[in-house]
Amino acid sequence: MGNKQTIFTAQQLDAYQDCTYFTRKEILRLFYRYRDLAPQLVPLDYTNHPDVKLPYELIGSMPELKDNPFRQRIAEVFSEDGQGNMTLNDFLDMFSVLSEMAPRDLKAYYAFKIYDFNDDDFICKSDLEKTLNKLTRNELTEDEVRMVCEKVIDEADLDNDGRLSLEDFQHMIVRAPDFLRYRNSDT
Amino acid sequence: MTSSSSGGVFNPAYHDSETLEVDRRDKRSWTHHTNPYAGEDPAWWAERDDAEPGASSGGWRGGESFSMGLFSTSSGTNSWQHDANPHTPDSSSHYRSAAGLPSLMTGGMTMRWRGMAMRGMSMFPNADPTHAALAEDAIRSEVENEEQNLIKELIALSAGEQTRKIQELPQSFGEKKNIRRQVMAFKSSTNSHHFLCCTDCCRNMSLSFRRCGNGIKSARQTLKLWRGIMKEIGGRFGSSVLTYFLFLKWLLMFNIFSFLVNFGFITIPLLVHDLSANIPSNVSFRGLELLTGAGYFNYTVMYYGGYSNETLHGLVDYNMQLAYFFTIAVYMVLCGIVLIFSMASSFKKNYVLSDPASSRAWQLLCSWDFSLTNERAVRQRKNNLRVQLKESLSERAEKESITLSKELKQVGIHVGSWFLSTCLAVGCGASIFYLCQYGEEQAMDTAPWSLLQEAETLLVPFVVSLMNIVIPLFFSLFNKFERYSTHRRQIYALLIRNVLLRMSILGVLCYHWMNVVPQKYSCWEPMVGQALYRLVIIDFLFLMLGSFFGEFLSNVIGTKLQPRLGVPEFDVARNVLELVYAQTLAWIGIYFSPLLPAIQMLKFFILFYIKKVSLTRNCQPPRRSGRAAQMQTIFIFLLFFPFFVGALSIVAYTAWSLTPSEQCGPFQGLNNTFSVVSIWIHDLEAIPTSDWVVWIYQNVIRSELFYFLLTLIIIAIIYIFWQLTQGRKELINLLRQRIINVSLF
Repeated sequence: MGNKQTIFTAQQLDAYQDCTYFTRKEILRLFYRYRDLAPQLVPLDYTNHPDVKLPYELIGSMPELKDNPFRQRIAEVFSEDGQGNMTLNDFLDMFSVLSEMAPRDLKAYYAFKIYDFNDDDFICKSDLEKTLNKLTRNELTEDEVRMVCEKVIDEADLDNDGRLSLEDFQHMIVRAPDFLRYRNSDT
Repeated sequence: MTSSSSGGVFNPAYHDSETLEVDRRDKRSWTHHTNPYAGEDPAWWAERDDAEPGASSGGWRGGESFSMGLFSTSSGTNSWQHDANPHTPDSSSHYRSAAGLPSLMTGGMTMRWRGMAMRGMSMFPNADPTHAALAEDAIRSEVENEEQNLIKELIALSAGEQTRKIQELPQSFGEKKNIRRQVMAFKSSTNSHHFLCCTDCCRNMSLSFRRCGNGIKSARQTLKLWRGIMKEIGGRFGSSVLTYFLFLKWLLMFNIFSFLVNFGFITIPLLVHDLSANIPSNVSFRGLELLTGAGYFNYTVMYYGGYSNETLHGLVDYNMQLAYFFTIAVYMVLCGIVLIFSMASSFKKNYVLSDPASSRAWQLLCSWDFSLTNERAVRQRKNNLRVQLKESLSERAEKESITLSKELKQVGIHVGSWFLSTCLAVGCGASIFYLCQYGEEQAMDTAPWSLLQEAETLLVPFVVSLMNIVIPLFFSLFNKFERYSTHRRQIYALLIRNVLLRMSILGVLCYHWMNVVPQKYSCWEPMVGQALYRLVIIDFLFLMLGSFFGEFLSNVIGTKLQPRLGVPEFDVARNVLELVYAQTLAWIGIYFSPLLPAIQMLKFFILFYIKKVSLTRNCQPPRRSGRAAQMQTIFIFLLFFPFFVGALSIVAYTAWSLTPSEQCGPFQGLNNTFSVVSIWIHDLEAIPTSDWVVWIYQNVIRSELFYFLLTLIIIAIIYIFWQLTQGRKELINLLRQRIINVSLF
């Protein structure tokens, strides 16, 4: 295999291939996508591990994410600083989990984190209300919002503590075969 | 306005706009301290608490297990309860204490492990520096412990398993790299103890193997057919429309396999043996053959008649009869097995495990289609979700308001539509029957046919395809008058009626081919093959026309002439049924025309592109989001039963009961096709080493006792599995009750 690229060392590429679900070509392609967001910030040589973070605004403007109602949460969950500013590692990690090769359990874990807006490791009522906001945009009345959230917690909460833990969520995902079936990422 | 729930009346959680600044302001809590650029500003706490009074109440229950599953808190069943008001000085001071511990937050700890650390902190509400330091040490050592356990676990696995496990870890990239590095360091150090000279060599070899494997993986991905187009369609139209294209690709694979098998085992030996086709001198190629399949094609290897019944003597003795019979039989059996397996696995995934009781939760949390990247599609999906939520909230109110007279009227309308649909289907069948009879009276057995006579044979396929296009429009019309409780029932009713129509037409045609054609023609199998060829080609032409009229014209009408109708949607159910029908024709035709799969392959290939272009130009994303997974199960089920089973029965009936034609084809002169096998077994009896084959044939395949015993055993196994399932269902209920009981304490 011709190692004609000089962006990463061979060990780095091996590490990327072992820790994500991407092949060598896809990793390079994603690197170029990352670089295209801010060519002046991202160096072409990653062999000495430069510390480059792209701000959230650039990540959120990518065509795959720009129309996704959860793009901000996705960026926050995968970024190291929790603010949506992503290094190349975070970027690759995000697309690896979003790609079709990642197993459903892993995606369910991250989906739980995405829906957990206040980061307390439970999906409580306010998280559900925020999710509903992202998905319906202020078009439901207060009563409807309350009823929907109550119903959701009634149906999915197994241990009756009034909010959804990861286990409750995973239990629901197992019985929802459509979930994240065709989640795409453009590599 | 009362404040009832923790969300409150004025619900800031619901009404937050999506602008970055507003969202970010709310998000800034002490939990985001991993950001080395941000200062630890206690002033943030007040801001955050004002914004979300309800949210924080969830975060302070100690003693819950951590979301990551890798850690279990040693604080046990700490029932320290946070009181309802988060604004107490206790909590604010303990936010500050957390702020004073940057050491815990750097290095390998990212926000994903932060939650555990914070829970650990919550054990010590009174912020005290020494206590805080102790807590920090305890947590850090616990984290390292867990990491060591994980590494030990990983070392015990093989290299491939290791990679897979590392890929599946729900941790950030830096942590995964760290773990991987430690695992590899450990491995190389253990290796160096044993084989000092071979470490380098072994390491390089394993590295190159892995790189090779990765290269093969990436090469395989580029070979996947139509991958880019599928992604584009899924992104613009959602996954329910994508199921149609995936189904098309799957059927194409069937045909490719069939073509390779048939061509390889039946046609190539014949071509190799005898390159010159024995075409009579008075027949030449006229363009009409492409449509009718008769004439010049009749004498080629396209049809059954072109194959000889002799044993070809070449490098090996090749028995054409056995080859023909076994190739077709093995292919059909393999198809059946593949269909049964995919149906069973699809059923298991999509029906058995899914629970209809959690529909609301499913709608909110699981129904969002993350593959959508088109803004219009996203907007429509949101509208869709809103409408569905409103509908499900209001359906309870509707149920009570239906009176008896209305219900009777509904039932009457249902009965009427079903009666009319059945009449239409039967009527179509009868008219095809009379049309076929008329066609037979006109046709003659002797070749050659004049141009007009050949063109007349196109009448039946033309009428069949016309009916297949027009009658479903009537069914959709009936559907509009009926009211169904769910959208899914509506689709199922429409599907059943369409299936009924096509089955009746196919049934009549098959009856005609099995009963009337053999009596009339001396060489009847090629005639059936030609009829099927014509059906396939005309069906293809009508599919193309259907795309044009169905989608292009609807688009024009919907946008320019009658804007009220709107842009058409892609009707997945109808299109899938057309695919299934086309595949059935190919399956019936395999026996009579072994190269029909080649035509089918071409047809599906071109159809993919036509449908894709028509979809992207003329259609909008679907307004109702169906449950794509369950629809796919239904499609596979439809494919298998009744269509595949019907095709298999026709072929089996032909092979078992009908007399092959005397003058052409590989089975000339035999009583029925299956006697090929008995003749072969009879020949094998003379050879002493193949006694076991003869024994199997006589005692297993031809004996009724064997099948009787097999059926009994299968029934017993089914009963046992059924009881097992019942037992497991009870167990699930018991466990669910236990979870609730445990959490109450």
